[in-house]
Amino acid sequence: MFHWLEKNPFFFAVGVFLTIAFAGAVTILPNFSKSAQPIKGLKPYTVLQLAGRGVYIKDNCLSCHSQMIRPFKAETDRYGQYSLSGEYAYDRPFLWGSRRIGPDLHRVGNYRTPDWHANHMWNPKSVVPGSIMPAYKHQFTNIADTETAYAEAVTVKRAFGVPYGDDIQPGKAAYEKELKAKVLPDALKIATQMKNKDLIAKVKAGKIPEVVALVAYLERLK
Amino acid sequence: MDQLSIYGYVIGSGIMVVVFYSYIVYLYRSEKRGHKDYEKYGKIALDDEIDSKPVEKGLEPVKKNKE
Amino acid sequence: MQSNAAMEYDYSIVKLYMWTTVIFGIVGMLIGVIIASQLAWPQLNYMMGEYGTFSRLRPIHTNVVVYGFMISGIFVGFYYSAQRVLKVSMGESKFLMTLGYLQFFLYLIAASGMVISEAMGITTSKEYAQMEWPLDILIVVIWVIWGVIMFGLIGMRREKALYISMWYYVATFLGVAMLYLFNNMEVPTQLLSGGLGAWYHSVSMYAGTNDAMVQWWWGHNAVAFVFTVPIIALIYYFLPKESGQAVYSYKLSLLSFWGLMFIYLWAGGHHLLWSTVPDWVQTMASVFSVILILPSWGSAINMLLTMKGEWNQLTENPLIKFMVLASTFYMLSTLEGPIQAVKSVNAIAHFTDWIPGHVHDGTLGWVSFMVFATLMHSAPRVFKREIYSKSLLEAQFWIQTVGVVLYFTSMWIAGITQGMMWRAVDEYGNLMYSFIDTVNALHPYWAIRAVGGTLYFIGLLMFAYNFFMTATAGRKLETEPQFRSPMA
Repeated sequence: MFHWLEKNPFFFAVGVFLTIAFAGAVTILPNFSKSAQPIKGLKPYTVLQLAGRGVYIKDNCLSCHSQMIRPFKAETDRYGQYSLSGEYAYDRPFLWGSRRIGPDLHRVGNYRTPDWHANHMWNPKSVVPGSIMPAYKHQFTNIADTETAYAEAVTVKRAFGVPYGDDIQPGKAAYEKELKAKVLPDALKIATQMKNKDLIAKVKAGKIPEVVALVAYLERLK
Repeated sequence: MDQLSIYGYVIGSGIMVVVFYSYIVYLYRSEKRGHKDYEKYGKIALDDEIDSKPVEKGLEPVKKNKE
Repeated sequence: MQSNAAMEYDYSIVKLYMWTTVIFGIVGMLIGVIIASQLAWPQLNYMMGEYGTFSRLRPIHTNVVVYGFMISGIFVGFYYSAQRVLKVSMGESKFLMTLGYLQFFLYLIAASGMVISEAMGITTSKEYAQMEWPLDILIVVIWVIWGVIMFGLIGMRREKALYISMWYYVATFLGVAMLYLFNNMEVPTQLLSGGLGAWYHSVSMYAGTNDAMVQWWWGHNAVAFVFTVPIIALIYYFLPKESGQAVYSYKLSLLSFWGLMFIYLWAGGHHLLWSTVPDWVQTMASVFSVILILPSWGSAINMLLTMKGEWNQLTENPLIKFMVLASTFYMLSTLEGPIQAVKSVNAIAHFTDWIPGHVHDGTLGWVSFMVFATLMHSAPRVFKREIYSKSLLEAQFWIQTVGVVLYFTSMWIAGITQGMMWRAVDEYGNLMYSFIDTVNALHPYWAIRAVGGTLYFIGLLMFAYNFFMTATAGRKLETEPQFRSPMA
């Protein structure tokens, strides 16, 4: 049976392929549509939050921080309600992480404030003595890529039917409109809460520093 | 539906175990009775000069044409 | 047969990949030493501005060692041994040779593109699949070329039966192709947004829990089809050849191959135990992970028994040392993995340092040792020179072995310590430690790990020097050695 395959490379390859494809088909497919359902009341990320998510990915925060609270008392005591599948329905990609060198962040918005984050990202040791996290000062000067974030929102709306409003449309004009109407005001609100004059001035000048977008995203994690 | 897949898994696993073990038995038996010699294929790695004699001849005619 | 006598195996592609193996090995492991030290001494994060933080460097480390060092090493093993077990020279086909050079050229582009884009923070964030879509397409092309070469050689072969190593190469090709394609299904964002934003950006086709399932189906099986399957292919060729002993049992290799193929793919879910993936998937993953011990140990025991009656070679030949210790580490990590996949153990082990510890006893102890042995066994045949220094090889072996042992023991302790501290409660049921306490407790173990990593890196430098000298200054050989590699 198997031995015969070794002299017939074509059938050998087909056999190997079927053997390895089998498991994926059985474990992934049956729950696929069910796992994609959002929980009730879940809103898609705003453009600013998506830009912040982009910063989270760019600086690869998931090297050290998970976003998955497991159903144990020790974890719910520390981080809050355990995670539900439907909460991740708009996460492309998922950001569960695989190693907690730092704490879980899935509900960090519940117990940290924007000005705490502002201090923390500038100098982690100032708010967490003994912290080994590096300072992310470059996030205060780099400007967040809101255009790509907007492109992402349009893409998921059109390709996967994520329920964004009518103002999320393809094209530069629609983006400029959204930027003025929603993204910059949102950013100004966050920057004000971060109590950092420099950041506020930058947002007023129409440029959103990465850290403002990032904090908008972290605030959303609840 | 869930019931069905559970039965499916149990029966499927059972069949696979039986097939797999009978194949092991078949392998060892056929060698013991001298029908087959599997272990000679292990020599492929040892005697692997380009001009050494293959354990089982491959697609020689095709090769001859190319040269 | 007469016309073949003058023919030789063609090792030009092998040579190219040998150098990339050495270079990527040094780069990747140097970054590894740096990030290990950053955990113990966080000031080291500030050497290169935003490009020098732990978070940016970590994916570069994993990708360079996996796709640079290991894949190069695997290609060395493939282009060297596939010709030999099929008894056909690549030089017999101009077409395949051209493809080989093309593949190497594209590989260099893809690898450097990978490093540059990740340093800039252009990443999909999925582990071991960080490359954005333009690089993904390039990688698919490289892989397809490899497949054409593999099946091209198979089509021309003189040996009818495929040797064990070839099964594993074919499986590597198919497995990575399937998993990589599915996991990297993504939509470039410029496509549907009217050309807005960065051209290289894309979003995953899957969301949330589904994305996680597909990713770890891949992530785990990248471990299967890059760290395991092709490395087994290497050991099935290089250990018998170097020792002059035929593989202990062909039948056992047959059974463990098909067993491994069938079982491995089920185990991916063990990265997601206690997460939001369905319970039955978790249970299935846990059960299959434990069953996975059987085919894994089947291969490992087969390798060790191949040395039956010839154990004296272990003391005499450092290459045999590397390969025997590699199979021992393979046994260790294939036992450790299933233990971690048991749900109750996983509750403590997941998210801790025990996981990187486990990865590294596999990669440092098993994969890298096999890659070193592969390069050193091939070098005398490829360059027609004697290995430059036996004593250097011996010293490398011992230094690296000590390095690995320091590495995984400290990570075991660190992981279990942190896992227990996270869940420790006082008599009233309140958590005993704040998170930062559990981090600071790890400092000594991280320092030991950094030392272990540094030792391993020193061994790698010795290897690089030894290899370079072998290629350029080793004593010339008149005839090709049959089994044991000659060394000075």
